[in-house]
Amino acid sequence: MGSVDPQALQGNSTPWPLSKNPENETTDMALFVRTSSETLSDWNRQRIVDALLRETTIDRDTAEQVSREVEEQIVTSKISLVTAPLIRELVDAKLIEHGLEEARKMHTRLGVPLYDVDQLILHPNRENANVPHGPEATNLTLAERIKKEYALLSVFSQEIGDAHMRGDLHLHDLGFIDRPYCSGQSLEYIKKFGLHLPNSLSMARPAKHSEVLLAHMVKFAAALQSNFAGAIGWDAVNLFFAPYLEGLSDREVHQLAQMLVYEFSQQAVARGGQAIFTDINLYWEVPKHFENVMAIGAGGEFTGKTYAEYAREAQRFVWALFDVYRDGDAVGRPFFFPKPLVHITEKFFQTPGHMDFLLHICNVAAEKGNTYFVFDRGHTAKVSECCRLSFKLEQSDLEDAKYPWRMRYCALQNVTLNLPRIAYQCGADDTKLFAKILEVFTKAVQAHLEKKNFLERLLALGDNGPLALLTMNKDGLPYLRMHRVTHLIGMVGLNEMVQVHRGKQMHESEETLRFGLKVIAYMKLLADRMSQKYGMRFVLEQTPAESTAYRFAKLDLRDFSPRSGYIVKGDISRGEVYYSNSTYMNVGSVLNPIERVRKEGLFHPLIEAGALTHLWLGEARPAQESLANFVIKVFRNSQNDQIAFSPEFTACTACGRTARGLSDRCCYCGSRQIEGITRITGYFTKISSWNKGKLGELKDRFRNQGYFDSKGG
Amino acid sequence: MTLFTKEGCAKCAYVKKNVDLKKLGIREEVLSPDNPDSLAHLAWHELVTVAVTQMPILVLDDNTSIIGAIRIMNFLTAMSDQL
Repeated sequence: MGSVDPQALQGNSTPWPLSKNPENETTDMALFVRTSSETLSDWNRQRIVDALLRETTIDRDTAEQVSREVEEQIVTSKISLVTAPLIRELVDAKLIEHGLEEARKMHTRLGVPLYDVDQLILHPNRENANVPHGPEATNLTLAERIKKEYALLSVFSQEIGDAHMRGDLHLHDLGFIDRPYCSGQSLEYIKKFGLHLPNSLSMARPAKHSEVLLAHMVKFAAALQSNFAGAIGWDAVNLFFAPYLEGLSDREVHQLAQMLVYEFSQQAVARGGQAIFTDINLYWEVPKHFENVMAIGAGGEFTGKTYAEYAREAQRFVWALFDVYRDGDAVGRPFFFPKPLVHITEKFFQTPGHMDFLLHICNVAAEKGNTYFVFDRGHTAKVSECCRLSFKLEQSDLEDAKYPWRMRYCALQNVTLNLPRIAYQCGADDTKLFAKILEVFTKAVQAHLEKKNFLERLLALGDNGPLALLTMNKDGLPYLRMHRVTHLIGMVGLNEMVQVHRGKQMHESEETLRFGLKVIAYMKLLADRMSQKYGMRFVLEQTPAESTAYRFAKLDLRDFSPRSGYIVKGDISRGEVYYSNSTYMNVGSVLNPIERVRKEGLFHPLIEAGALTHLWLGEARPAQESLANFVIKVFRNSQNDQIAFSPEFTACTACGRTARGLSDRCCYCGSRQIEGITRITGYFTKISSWNKGKLGELKDRFRNQGYFDSKGG
Repeated sequence: MTLFTKEGCAKCAYVKKNVDLKKLGIREEVLSPDNPDSLAHLAWHELVTVAVTQMPILVLDDNTSIIGAIRIMNFLTAMSDQL
């Protein structure tokens, strides 16, 4: 009599049943099975029966029959090495033969082929340029593979899973299915409650010193990274640090700024070796909604002053932070993280010293490219993060601002629509096109509902569940405030959709640009309608689409050739294909920066969860005055939500120097041991880690090399 | 010229009641959940954010705009007087 490890069949650690049913005939085989619990076990047909009864809905007689047939197959095949996965595959094949498709699905084993593991260990994963290559990254990638399969089989319905697999839409971060997408918060939570996390080995009281507050911030960010799939954003960082900076010298403030930037930029030791995708929101002025808020200082106590009274300290800190960004790392390269997002508001222009500060951050933008300019016009206030995501603050949020530790925002999931694919299927018929958008949009909403249901099940487990950190309740509400979460619906390839449908790209005619606007206006109205229908916040977002734009283009080349061959961007012969990101104009179109900012900005008020225009600088190094002038014009004369200037760099690993522009050898020492660095989507990274689609886009990008006045020019 | 109005907007109704839009050659576009064309047109004129808090909006032929019922009424009354 032999036996099979139940773990092999059920995939968990249920104890091995000791008793064997004497009624079950099993072949007396001298056969051992390699189990997934790293043991060699005797053959036991009953284990197959047990697993089928436990995991599927088939009856005992059928389970017995299937197990006998599998046993027979193993005996007659004279297999020398029987493994638990093999047995499960044979059982699944039998279930299909018996027409038991549903049972087969329930009995599926999730796993990765040997060849794939070999490849993963040997070669870098290019799906996310923020994942380095190493053992920890391999662990992350392998775990993601399993969770992706689990998500598509078990969390999402077959209809939604199939829509993703076909490429009608993209379900982001499937490998992190058991977490929300991203989060934005203020430092006030840890300032007030200390670092008191579920499952941690020690609890820390609220920080009394600035360095300790920084340490708490970094650790909390790492804890959040373990509970969210994407970016971790921090609101008004310089302002909330300010109460801790009273009495510190400029040198000490600079030191703290340097520690903050280095701590986050060198965090490539956390999840999967990934740096924490961190955004810090910064203000020169004290934002209106924080002016009269009582400040929290050392020990989590109120200082007796309002934040308006800490304006000077906040300004000293933000200035020092940009000194650090300007200098770059030890070899002059730009810091990749944390991303500094400076809010430009009406009050900014009324605050003394704003012009000097604007020149300072524009100098950093020109030198290193780090500065994100976030435009909050009128009474708008928001927390920005990720590549372009924003949480717009509503009236209730501005009320929460009086108790800023409550300001915790989250996007639960992101689902992106493949717009060109819709157009390929509609034969230039407007009615069909808008009907198809509605159909795919409705599927995206369904996907959100399914993800929300799954997460709510995990959250309901509370302190004993996998998301205990998000259920911790220190201020009367769980950390993850479900009533305030948003559900992102993104888009890729509006430009190509319009090109397919109207024959021209958006930069080529006013008519096509207007048609693009109509598509996004329609999606915005759909999001509003669905929000009302389900009582959830569906909002449009410009998906960063680091790999999605590549994935969609590849799938459409396969499914809609030859038409798609004329539409996708990039180099088909090299496989470097992509669609234009979200609502962007063709990246290669020759548009001066004002035109690009204005035209792309037309879409931004329709995209509530954040939009951005990139201005690719190439090797140009504009004068700070020129950029400052440009930023003011964008704020005053456009609807553009955010802009970022992106220079390019070549860092030499041989001589340790960094030069402007991308080249194939070091301009100082001639070495070919170089790393190209520029912005991939929202963040800077090494080009060697980019996927093929992004490499294709990089070649096509139109660089605004001659538009801005150069330094000294 | 285009007058952007919104369903349920009292100020919009006031302007429409007191001005003969047809006579002045003004096209009305009603913002509603079922009208992406009007929203797209509004976005083209970079007025989506304005429309969230202030309606109605009159867009002139030179692409400039007048915002708010009183200002629009004053402008249209003067225009009507010149006819």
